[in-house]
Amino acid sequence: MKLLVVEDEVKTGDYVRQGLAEAGFVVDLARTGLDGHHLALTGAYDLIILDVMLPDVDGWRIVQALREAKSSTPVLFLTARDSVEDRVKGLELGADDYLVKPFAFSELLARVRTLLRRGTASSFQDKLQVADLVLDIPRRRAKRQDKRITLTNKEFALLELLVRRQGEVLPRSLIASQVWDMNFDSDTNVIDVAIRRLRAKIDDNFEPKLIHTVRGMGYMLDIELRG
Amino acid sequence: MARRPVSLAVRLTVSIGAVITVVLLTFGWMIERSINKHFVQQDVDELNAVVQSLQHTLATLPQNATPEDLQERFAAAVSGHHNAQYYISSGTGMQIYASPGSDLDRFAKISRPVQKISIETVGTWQDHGETFRGAVLHTTPDSTPGLKKFTIAVATGINFHLHYLESFRTYLRVITTIACLIAILATWLAVHQGHAPIRRISREIRQIRSDQLHIRLEPHTVPAELVELSISFNDMIERLEDVFRRLSGFSADIAHELRTPITNLKTQTEVALSQSRSIEQYREVLYSSLEEYERMAKMVGDMLFLAQADNNLLKPELVKIDLGAEMRNLFDYFGAWAEEREVELKLSGEQICVQGDRLMIRRALSNVLSNAIRYTPAGHTVNVTLESSMKVATIRVKNPGSVVPAEHLDRIFERFYRTDASRQRGVEGAGLGLAIAKSIVEAHSGKIHASSASEFTELRISLPAVGC
Repeated sequence: MKLLVVEDEVKTGDYVRQGLAEAGFVVDLARTGLDGHHLALTGAYDLIILDVMLPDVDGWRIVQALREAKSSTPVLFLTARDSVEDRVKGLELGADDYLVKPFAFSELLARVRTLLRRGTASSFQDKLQVADLVLDIPRRRAKRQDKRITLTNKEFALLELLVRRQGEVLPRSLIASQVWDMNFDSDTNVIDVAIRRLRAKIDDNFEPKLIHTVRGMGYMLDIELRG
Repeated sequence: MARRPVSLAVRLTVSIGAVITVVLLTFGWMIERSINKHFVQQDVDELNAVVQSLQHTLATLPQNATPEDLQERFAAAVSGHHNAQYYISSGTGMQIYASPGSDLDRFAKISRPVQKISIETVGTWQDHGETFRGAVLHTTPDSTPGLKKFTIAVATGINFHLHYLESFRTYLRVITTIACLIAILATWLAVHQGHAPIRRISREIRQIRSDQLHIRLEPHTVPAELVELSISFNDMIERLEDVFRRLSGFSADIAHELRTPITNLKTQTEVALSQSRSIEQYREVLYSSLEEYERMAKMVGDMLFLAQADNNLLKPELVKIDLGAEMRNLFDYFGAWAEEREVELKLSGEQICVQGDRLMIRRALSNVLSNAIRYTPAGHTVNVTLESSMKVATIRVKNPGSVVPAEHLDRIFERFYRTDASRQRGVEGAGLGLAIAKSIVEAHSGKIHASSASEFTELRISLPAVGC
């Protein structure tokens, strides 16, 4: 998977590139709007991460040029201004998602993966399995070691999210927005409580443990905690 | 650019000056008219007196009077009426007598005779540079033998009247003009003087600087018309002072809220670097820093949101929102957390809908609900009631807990405000939740209000309702 990052802020660009590279992506970094514009139109990328506020050619023009060239490469834009107009403008111009600075890297990673996964067939699978945990999607049932586990609707939705994004660190804000449609941070530890309850049902009486806490970042479901 | 309205002093001076001018002109005109009339009446009286004397003379005229006799008799008749001229002819038009120097025979022939001389019937004409007033009448003296008919024409020169009137008119004009000028000047002075309190207030206002917002005008020292203005001004300063105080407090709070995590980070990093440590220990430091950053980023995000609200930049995208459904969704979200705190959530009331930005309304309700859950002791219930009346949708979030003192109630919507000053930072967020809720509700033309009594605290949100 090859990504293009257009970011003029030196440190942000470096760390985003490093983080994405360590997450297994091939990353090109453009530090000016002009370079970014050129690379976006000539290179073959699976996804483009664009800073909107660039000194020369701004992010909006790059998205526009890209869409005019009939390219359907997903675009995620980064904006420092949390204004509705900005969001609407970006999405109208053909961007696919946006993040407001300062953002958490884990959030960026999760969004990137969501965008890359879009359109692939995996979401239509009827059965999902990780180790001995099996999810029956149409009937909304979970089993572990062939034992039926009773879950509430939201618990199942949470578990389904974790299983579909196996091996990815999911930030709390992403979980809240995907499972409960709460697109903002709350001051509470609601997600931690929900995970704790899910864990009690999925992991407490079973080995290996599947749900892992990634400190300071979020939660991840995998056979073993990586890294 | 719109033109500046005409100054108050000019407006008043012009209107009062116009009234005074009209009054003076009317007055002058009436005086002139009445004097003129008086003169005419005087002339008429004189003419009548002359006619009477002439009639009397005619009645006693002997048949065979000589011209010298006639002159003597008529001169005696009109003695004392120096300005009067007269002309007498017989019924056949033959001149009997004309006063010396008079030229009335033509006038007597062309004028229509009148029955009686009065203001209405007297005529005026000019002859040889002299203006005359006079009349012609027929008379038949009773005692005249043979019932003779006579025609009498009388006139009196009125040049001296006209001269007098002319000079009087000029005099009147000068007096009127001077009076008008004096009146206008006096008006202007009075208006200017009348505005002195405004200038004084203006001087007082000019002295109020940002560090002296406590200064107030004194309404009882200004004229009645300005009392309301100074009260309004005081109210405005009151509000400004309040906002100013809160903003200063806000800046200080931001500095304080950011200083603490920055100090933590700095100390922690310095200590970590002061000696060689295991990978595990370094990782621990980084994790701890991450948590701190997370909190700061969230706080900055919240403050940006509030700054946008302050600058009226929150532009809700309006859709119809079923508040009941929204609340059930929030109960679902907070359910596990509340259960763990042994707090029960209860929703009651009718189905109500509002027009609003779904994300913002959800955020406001979430902040209010999480606040209520947080302050509810274990084993108790948070009651959410939805009701609507008179096109107002009301959401009441009521939770048991210690009574919030009245002086804190309005301040709980202030930024960084915590009822308990000693409460630890981080346990419950930055203290911006209710401030954000308030901004959102107000951006939706709603109101949020807190009340507290007998172990209950209630937050009430009112929004304009729409049909579901």
